Amino acid sequence: MHRREALKNVAFLLGGAISASTMGVLFESFTLPENEKNFVSYSLQDEKIFAEFADVIVPTTKSSAGAKAAGLGKFIPMMMQDCYPAKMQESFAQGFKDLQAKSEKDFSKKYLELTPAERTKLMIDLRAISLAQKETKSEENKDLVYFFTTARDLTLLGYYSSEIGCTKAREYVLVPGRYDGNTKLKPGQKSWAT
Amino acid sequence: MNLNINLKEENTYDAIVIGSGISGGWAAKELTEKGLRVIMLERGMNIEHITGYETAMKSPWEFKHAGKLTEEQKRTHPVQKRDYPYQEANEKWWVNDLECPYTEDKRFDWYRGFHVGGKSLMWGRQSYRFSDHNFEDNAKDGHGTDWPIRYAELSPWYDYAERFAGISGSKENWPLCPDGQFLPPMDLNVVEKSVKARIEEHYKKERIMMIGRTANLTVPHKGRGNCQYRNLCSRGCPFGAYFSTQSSTLPAAMATKRLTVRPYSIVNHIIYDKDTKKAKGVMVIDAETNKEMEFYAKIVFVNGSTLGSTFVLLNSTSEAHPNGLGNGSGQLGHNLMDHHFRCGASGEAEGFDDKYTYGRRANGIYVPRYQNVNNDKREYLRGFGYQGGASRSNWQNDVAELSFGAGLKEKMTKPGKWTMGLGGFGEMLPYYENRVYIDKTKKDKWGQPVLAIDCEYKENEKKMRVDMMNDAAEMLEAAGMKNVKTYDNGCYPGMAIHEQGTARMGNDPKTSVLNKWNQMHEVKNVFVTDGSCMPSIACQNPSLTFMALTARACDYAVKELKKNNI
Repeated sequence: MHRREALKNVAFLLGGAISASTMGVLFESFTLPENEKNFVSYSLQDEKIFAEFADVIVPTTKSSAGAKAAGLGKFIPMMMQDCYPAKMQESFAQGFKDLQAKSEKDFSKKYLELTPAERTKLMIDLRAISLAQKETKSEENKDLVYFFTTARDLTLLGYYSSEIGCTKAREYVLVPGRYDGNTKLKPGQKSWAT
Repeated sequence: MNLNINLKEENTYDAIVIGSGISGGWAAKELTEKGLRVIMLERGMNIEHITGYETAMKSPWEFKHAGKLTEEQKRTHPVQKRDYPYQEANEKWWVNDLECPYTEDKRFDWYRGFHVGGKSLMWGRQSYRFSDHNFEDNAKDGHGTDWPIRYAELSPWYDYAERFAGISGSKENWPLCPDGQFLPPMDLNVVEKSVKARIEEHYKKERIMMIGRTANLTVPHKGRGNCQYRNLCSRGCPFGAYFSTQSSTLPAAMATKRLTVRPYSIVNHIIYDKDTKKAKGVMVIDAETNKEMEFYAKIVFVNGSTLGSTFVLLNSTSEAHPNGLGNGSGQLGHNLMDHHFRCGASGEAEGFDDKYTYGRRANGIYVPRYQNVNNDKREYLRGFGYQGGASRSNWQNDVAELSFGAGLKEKMTKPGKWTMGLGGFGEMLPYYENRVYIDKTKKDKWGQPVLAIDCEYKENEKKMRVDMMNDAAEMLEAAGMKNVKTYDNGCYPGMAIHEQGTARMGNDPKTSVLNKWNQMHEVKNVFVTDGSCMPSIACQNPSLTFMALTARACDYAVKELKKNNI
């Protein structure tokens, strides 16, 4: 729905209690959003790519399952759609396409067909490109870099607030019941999730 | 005709309390306990104690957006989103800014919660008394108007408020931050203990550091459970372990069976009776139906938050009070203040790698004001205190930039560095030109005009901020912290959510709105006991003072009522 129509509908929902003149003022009072709502959406296939991509950033280790198991395949595109302005969504979507193109170019394979070693190699490249771009500030690879850094951030955010991340990778107590500001750190002790 | 009379009788109480936050809840409790039939009018929704705290027991993974705001929330909350308090876990408790806009002549971040309990549900809970210095500063340096009371007059009411609310803290015998009736203090952690000892030694006890005095219970108190160290207070506490209207004053008032609470009741104005020269009641807009109605009472307590209350008073115009109720002085709306903060220093503590913590303490440390007393003279007036604390983070700074994989994961699941931070909270002087007024060019969702805010920090505050950074850094260095860094993240009035002033107390009706009993000089049955009454704001967190002033004003009001003086 177009933004203005959405706003109008909200106002009508407020009911007949509001006079015509108030309605006019109501609209003046609204701060209109800077960007139109974006409609970049992601398919189930895309979610599989996100899951595998995130799993390279936070893989399964001896202590705990990784990002794929923690549901990052769905979390990343959901967060993009709900929490990011349109311009950033567009850049992210373009970077996501660039990632898949890079997979085809470097390995002649679709991303999901890459071996674990190839996925890691691709991620090493992305990191190098991103670190280089930070220095040069060049327009080249701009979207790819935005995609990598943002997908990485969202992976860490999503993983360490997931149940696996909080309770398996880290340690979580819902109701501590007391405070001790001077405990002895045991060998191998995990950090608190919150 | 009969119908009208019945309605009038039905809508008549002994007292009306406008607002249900910290001071409104106290007014309702005190007035009902003293035998009055009270209606408490709240402009927003009801929130039931415990069952209304929908997210209180949720774990991090039960939040869809991992705590982040959505674009839609940012669109509907353009002011609330400016700082951290508006968050996924309690986002329903912050106002939709589009429904109740205001005008910013200069940037002012106005955080509002429209619901039973008001900001008592989301407050920071730090609770400090004002000292004689604070009550005397206006008279000494000539800024603002003299406080009509001194510490000795409020001290027993602080005792009274603390005993009921339950304030945990340590006695320090520090004249600028008087001791009170405390529950046992929370513990400092191992790094804070070391920092405290080294600061107090270095400055020869001319500066001290203590555990924060907080309205969190360290032991069960008056039927409420003690703190469970979850540090999720701003979602509402199912244990009732921090002071809020819901956990504390509302149950006490309800127990008298003399309290009526009416949510969705926006007080538009106070109705003035020119014959009796008193308020006879209030006009209310029902927030759900937009229907107008009136309530009547012998006394009116105005507790709608600093700017909410001042809006109601400014909007209560009549022939006798053309510029707002009780505004013969012309001071109503003026002298708006807020603390300035968001600057200080932090550093890393070494030598504690084998130490960690258990539990999430909903409290930090406090360094009470030490400037501009004794030999400590500064280039500005008044002073500041520090809040902060030490913690062991779980984020490794030494993780290589943009790294990934098993190595990153391994590091992120281990405890990181100990850090210690000190953030200043500075006093802002009262300036007549920092003001609010009614802007009739805009309307809110209910057709009411809106408030315009014109407020800024000035030279005194700017000078103080430099010291707030540098003193913090000096103290952290004296305490042996490494890699000490100062910061000033910038601050606008409103951000501390300690907005005060705009209906100040004073002895002279020509220069103040309220007398020493928080009673309007010009309308004797109207009392204003929230932050708007403050002639100055000191640097301490203010809510405890609102509690004490409210209880004191209620005591006076009921006595006057019984003597037929009002």
